[in-house]
Amino acid sequence: MKKFLIATIMIALFLVVLIPFASNNPDGLEKVVVTYDAQEHQSIWNGIMADYSFFSIGNQYLSTLLAGIFGVVAVLVAGLVLSKVMTSNDKSAKNNAHRP
Amino acid sequence: MHISDGLIFNNTSIVLAIIMWFLSIGILVWSWKKAQQTYTRSITALLAISSAFVFAAQMINFPIIFGSSGHLVGGTFLAVLLGPYAAILSMTLVLGMQALFFADGGIVAFGMNMFNMAIIGGLSYFLIKAFTRKNSSQKWFISSVFIASWISIMLGAVITSFEIAPAFSGGLAVTLPSMLLLHGIIGVGEGAITTVLVTSIQRLNPTILGGLSLLKGRKDKI
Repeated sequence: MKKFLIATIMIALFLVVLIPFASNNPDGLEKVVVTYDAQEHQSIWNGIMADYSFFSIGNQYLSTLLAGIFGVVAVLVAGLVLSKVMTSNDKSAKNNAHRP
Repeated sequence: MHISDGLIFNNTSIVLAIIMWFLSIGILVWSWKKAQQTYTRSITALLAISSAFVFAAQMINFPIIFGSSGHLVGGTFLAVLLGPYAAILSMTLVLGMQALFFADGGIVAFGMNMFNMAIIGGLSYFLIKAFTRKNSSQKWFISSVFIASWISIMLGAVITSFEIAPAFSGGLAVTLPSMLLLHGIIGVGEGAITTVLVTSIQRLNPTILGGLSLLKGRKDKI
């Protein structure tokens, strides 16, 4: 458990430091779409936190950071569940099997 | 390189999206079966933490030319760290969360995005393996990681060009050259970041990469 907490904190710190430096320019694909005026229709799904904005938080830095941390925790938990199920046939794992 | 659903609206692109869904799910099932045979419990923490890191790293865009930007995709990074099968699963997870919560990449287009980033990224493992077959020195290993990262981005960009072409009046003649130009540069960023990450991990904890057969003197496990 402890290593996941440390990992989450480290990745959160990575975001704390680097988000202010992240470029807001359109990425390669978006740039092509904008430059050549592609037809774009309304998407059927707009997400819960579109553009990595955490609900109604006004401060853009904080909003992106919280959305990022939310995503990091979501991926971490999902990754843990996925890999546990994936290796559920592995009998060599006595050490981890009963740990909380 | 995340294709949004906004670009998938006419018959051609919807058919393409459905084909890519089937193709990607097929490869995902194959990876899942391979992964079940290949990995032991010891992969769990590494898979979860590296997936979470790649999610965070994808949020950090670096500026390139023409007022555009790019970010690490991380497919080759995950492939070096986890091997091809777990890398495909891990990246699919990252892309899934992005599409579900942040609308970064569409739902209809998810099969395309899965193929362009998760599958090509994961399979770049075999590229590195082929490159290092004859010469497995550290220098050449790192060069191979760089080249494979760049190729994974370029290949993704080529396929993306085909997939988004129906949304452009100029079609492929417009999308292919512009995607290749921008991603040729983004790919250099991908290669640079991936090699820095891989060398740092080798320094901090050399045993992490030990399970893979990419490094000299390692047993073939995958």
